[in-house]
Amino acid sequence: MNTKIKVRVSNLVKNFGDNKVLKGINMEVHDNEVVVVIGPSGSGKSTFLRNLNRLEAPTSGSIVIDDMDIADPKTDINKVRENIGMVFQHFNLFSNLSVSENVMLAPVELKKRTKTEAAKQAHDLLNMVGLDSKFNATVQSLSGGQQQRVAIARALAMNPNVMLFDEPTSALDPEMVGDVLAVMKQLAKQGMTMIVVTHEMGFAKEVADRVVFVDDGNIQEQGTPDEMFNHPQNPHLQDFLDKVLNV
Amino acid sequence: MKRHFVSVVSGLAVLIAMFVTFGLGATPAKATTTYQVATDSTFPPFEFANSHNKYVGIDIDLLHAIAKDQGFKVNIKPTSFNSAIQSVQSGQMDGVIAGMSITKEREATFDFSKPYFMSGVVMAAKPNGKITKLSQLRGKRVAVKTGTSGAQYAQSIHKEYGFKIVTFDESNDMYQDVLTGNSAACFEDSPVMRYAVRQGTKLKIYTKPTLNGPYGFAVKKGHNQKLLRMFNNGLADLKSNGEYARITRHYLGAKGSSDTTSDRTFLGLLKQNKGALLSGFEQTVWLTVVAIFFATLFGVIVGLLGVVPNKFFNGLSTTLIYIFRGLPLLVLALFIYTGIPSLTGSKIPAFVAGTITLMFNEGAYIAAFVKGGINAVDDGQMEAARSLGLPFGKAMRRVILPQGIRIMIPSFINQFIITLKDTSILSIIGIIELTQTGKIIIARNLEGFKVWTIIAIIYLIVITLLTWLSNWVERRIRL
Repeated sequence: MNTKIKVRVSNLVKNFGDNKVLKGINMEVHDNEVVVVIGPSGSGKSTFLRNLNRLEAPTSGSIVIDDMDIADPKTDINKVRENIGMVFQHFNLFSNLSVSENVMLAPVELKKRTKTEAAKQAHDLLNMVGLDSKFNATVQSLSGGQQQRVAIARALAMNPNVMLFDEPTSALDPEMVGDVLAVMKQLAKQGMTMIVVTHEMGFAKEVADRVVFVDDGNIQEQGTPDEMFNHPQNPHLQDFLDKVLNV
Repeated sequence: MKRHFVSVVSGLAVLIAMFVTFGLGATPAKATTTYQVATDSTFPPFEFANSHNKYVGIDIDLLHAIAKDQGFKVNIKPTSFNSAIQSVQSGQMDGVIAGMSITKEREATFDFSKPYFMSGVVMAAKPNGKITKLSQLRGKRVAVKTGTSGAQYAQSIHKEYGFKIVTFDESNDMYQDVLTGNSAACFEDSPVMRYAVRQGTKLKIYTKPTLNGPYGFAVKKGHNQKLLRMFNNGLADLKSNGEYARITRHYLGAKGSSDTTSDRTFLGLLKQNKGALLSGFEQTVWLTVVAIFFATLFGVIVGLLGVVPNKFFNGLSTTLIYIFRGLPLLVLALFIYTGIPSLTGSKIPAFVAGTITLMFNEGAYIAAFVKGGINAVDDGQMEAARSLGLPFGKAMRRVILPQGIRIMIPSFINQFIITLKDTSILSIIGIIELTQTGKIIIARNLEGFKVWTIIAIIYLIVITLLTWLSNWVERRIRL
């Protein structure tokens, strides 16, 4: 395991009004590590992920990514976000833009690349997710699985060094899931630091360096896939695994 | 970067404010000898547009003759009677000559000249002889024109004679109400009624002039005393040199000016009033174009203020929409045109007041659907854009707005058509656009049905053209 700490979350609390969703989460993610967050719905795992790039503002606590404190309002959040890619459950591709424009928008707008450079990069990224043939296609003409792979390419276009995945396969038809997971596995293999919220236990077993079980706004248990899936200690985790594995 | 976007928006808001201020300041510079005098647009034979669309009548001719005699210049502006009175009270105009009776109540707010005409109220009804005297009015409706001596007379006797009063803004509408049988009779100043009957109105005068009252030229109390003195001096001169008699005879004498001989077919009416209709049409189109431009600017800015992540701007946007969508257009127009100048003391030209009215009213509707259109774009689009590091403004411009605008386009087209139609309401503040032109023509020839048909067709043609244009633009944008 690499030793450099990429993400450090300390005592993260998030309330929506009276509703306490996160109750003081502590977590460290190392460089090149793949962390899979599992847990029942409503446990706060998506909220946790959305706090990491401040799509939700933390109520208290600190989140330090690459030595920058995200929770601090003085931090230029746009700069930080450039280094944190995010993939959403519902893809959220820009429906007014074509496939390639989706990938090229941020690098060109934020002056990371010229149009020509961005176009070349878009070809490379779309090749990587197996969709270069759809370069000029409209978003509406793609299947869900294809849209999600384009969304991954779009997130990668800013060359992030952390990727957040928020249930990336939950909205897909079963036959589409494999293609998306394959792209994610490939990313993991290339050494991308990834935090993945998912219900795909197979992916967790195969790819995760560490599995984190979140329930009731807190981390209840964490460990290697072997420890978590074969020797779960926490009764809530045992109960949860019973439900998801023995369908 | 969020700040950058907000500053662009507030910059535009400042521009709007500057336009408004400029508009308020852009009142015509008054040369010391040119007086602005308001008059009614439809009160023949005292003031009316002749078939060449030129204003004539006893009041008009008298005032011009007096001005010539006394060596001052006068700019006579026809508007509705109420608006004429208010524009003098608010200081928008220097004086009013509009067949206006000198009454105790009016003397509280106006200084009147010496009487220049003695008039009285008469009752007119259908010539079938069913209603010939006041006692037959019990339980019936009587039509009067707002703010006239006839209205005052009706008010003073309606309990005694047991009739119900209905009020109209235009003489012709009042006559029509009697002709259709809705009202049993109308009360009108005798010279006006005599003129109307001679023009072909199928009503008969049954009573002798009563409540005889003098007409006077009026200025705001305590203001423009020099103008008042010159009017009195000039009037005395005209009476002694025979000019006064010549003018009144011209309009009231047996061989007075009359329009009954002209062609009253649709085509004839169209031909006679070509110039007036064209200029009214131009005014309508011009008002629509200018209003749409500023309303869109105002609406888009206020709409955007409603979606920026700033509580103060959101509240401002909601408040502006609430106020200007909540006010009837008519009330807003009168408030801006007559209300604001009486508070600030500076005049607003009717066209500017009209444009501001439409900017606020139509703009509020535009703001509401701009806000709605942006809110209708899936939240995930903004989240995805922000997650890439795009600042709020860039995300708005490149991702949210292009999608929101597609949602808004049908509402925009709809609002443009509504704006065109709403310009007609501005006839109330005396803008001589298409509707006001219609009223003026009818005041002269009393051909209500035919003239309104012509006006309606013109509106439909313009709206059809506007719809075609909008559809063409919509297709272009969707490409």
